[in-house]
Amino acid sequence: MAHIEINNVVAGYGSGPDILTGITLKIEPDRSYCIIGPNGAGKSTLLKVICGLLQPRSGNVVFNGTNMTGLRPDEVLQRGICFVPQDRSLFPDMTVRENLRMGGYILKDRAEVDRRIESVLGMFPVLAERLGQPAKTLSGGQQQQLLIGRALVLRPKVIMLDEPTLGLAPKISKQIFDSMNQLKAAGISIIVVEQNARLGLKFADWGCVLDLGRMVFEGPSGTVLSDRRIEELYLGRLRKEVAA
Amino acid sequence: MVQNIQIMILGLALGGVYALMASGLTLIFGVMGIVNLAHAAFMMAAAFMAFFIFRDLGIDPIVSIVITMPAMFALGVIVYKLVFARSFADPAKRSVMVLMTFAMALVIEGTLGFFFSNIYRSTTPSYASEAIIAGPFFLPSAQLYAMGLSIVILGALWAMLKFSRTGYAIRATMHNRTAAEVVGVNVDRISMLVFGIGMALAGASGSVLSFVFSFYPGKHWEFVAILLSLVVLGGMGSLLGALIGALSLSVVAAFVSANYGPTWSPVTFYLALFVILMVRPQGLLGKKMEL
Repeated sequence: MAHIEINNVVAGYGSGPDILTGITLKIEPDRSYCIIGPNGAGKSTLLKVICGLLQPRSGNVVFNGTNMTGLRPDEVLQRGICFVPQDRSLFPDMTVRENLRMGGYILKDRAEVDRRIESVLGMFPVLAERLGQPAKTLSGGQQQQLLIGRALVLRPKVIMLDEPTLGLAPKISKQIFDSMNQLKAAGISIIVVEQNARLGLKFADWGCVLDLGRMVFEGPSGTVLSDRRIEELYLGRLRKEVAA
Repeated sequence: MVQNIQIMILGLALGGVYALMASGLTLIFGVMGIVNLAHAAFMMAAAFMAFFIFRDLGIDPIVSIVITMPAMFALGVIVYKLVFARSFADPAKRSVMVLMTFAMALVIEGTLGFFFSNIYRSTTPSYASEAIIAGPFFLPSAQLYAMGLSIVILGALWAMLKFSRTGYAIRATMHNRTAAEVVGVNVDRISMLVFGIGMALAGASGSVLSFVFSFYPGKHWEFVAILLSLVVLGGMGSLLGALIGALSLSVVAAFVSANYGPTWSPVTFYLALFVILMVRPQGLLGKKMEL
């Protein structure tokens, strides 16, 4: 059974036009996904619908057999789906420790949250050295690690990352993907929207191509990377840029 | 020198009271992004409550805070549910919420005026006419108690925000509403709670102002202008900023009053509001507004 089933979802913001125009996708357990597509394709919107930040206008999202349509983000979190948005959505004046504590906000047992934070710090030692610092004083890469660490406090089944390497240097981007590989090895399903499509597809097992709010192609990442039509439409520009 | 220190003491005492009044306004703005122009009108309603509790039941306005705060909290929750919850759900209405608070202020003023008339009132506990004298300095007891009460309430508010789970959620929502939702904060419930807390602070402020100032229903316009200048100076949404703004501007206003007459004292606040908005609209500790 699929972890998450997205069934013919139509969604948009306020009274604006539909951004997702009828998308269907099955997210299998123990598989990592990379979603690519041009700007405005609806990649971030899709993640927001899955995590409950945006309710679909029609269609539904099913997780482990339960319809999640209408659930609030905290109710989706309780089912084990975490979302890491693209805008470095930390709490800038709160310390690193306080930010990590907010990751366990839906857990009532504070001692358990602190125990989980210790385990997260084992994965991101740089954060352990900066526990008392306000989050805004961290570098871009450290902030991204804190965002991922914050999501891990809940020990989720699925993590969705929206452009985790946006604005980061290549070396730091590699570190972020190394961290994501660790999560993958730990059995967490990962869905990543990545501007560096090649990097994202090399990391993921499965590639999904979105355009104009629809899924235009999905398949094993290797297939997506080697598909000439997709390369021309969605990866070609990147290739030219790299060559230049 | 003695005179300057005396002016500073009076300014700081008044600043403590203003800080209490401004705390609810800035807290609501921080979480909901609403400039609640009805805040001071709600303070007036609470002041009337304290006045009648004192006059009819003989309960001291400091003691009656245990009545005015919960009553205003409950009123805040009801107002939030009836007015703001629906508007929040509709992005098109969010931009006009400040006008709704303006309308609310007019309704409260009109209602208070209709029932209680527009005459000046104040509660007169025994300490209202006493003063503490220490050497060449003096401080009216009412202002001393009001400042002490403000320190206790603001200290409790700070501790709640700093150490409690709910406080974490409130601060997180003030920082970044979407990020708070992402980690599981029910921001609608937090907004309702904060509006209630803001109104409870207006309740405490009303009790305090009932014995520090004379008041009548229309007096809230004077207060809201002063409070806006304090929170704009400190930075909208910043509690520490509101405290700094209240203490500093009150001291300046006290000096202006002593040197140029009390008529000019309120001008200090309005002028400060104008200058801050021109020079540094985000205030001392506030986030830069993104247009």
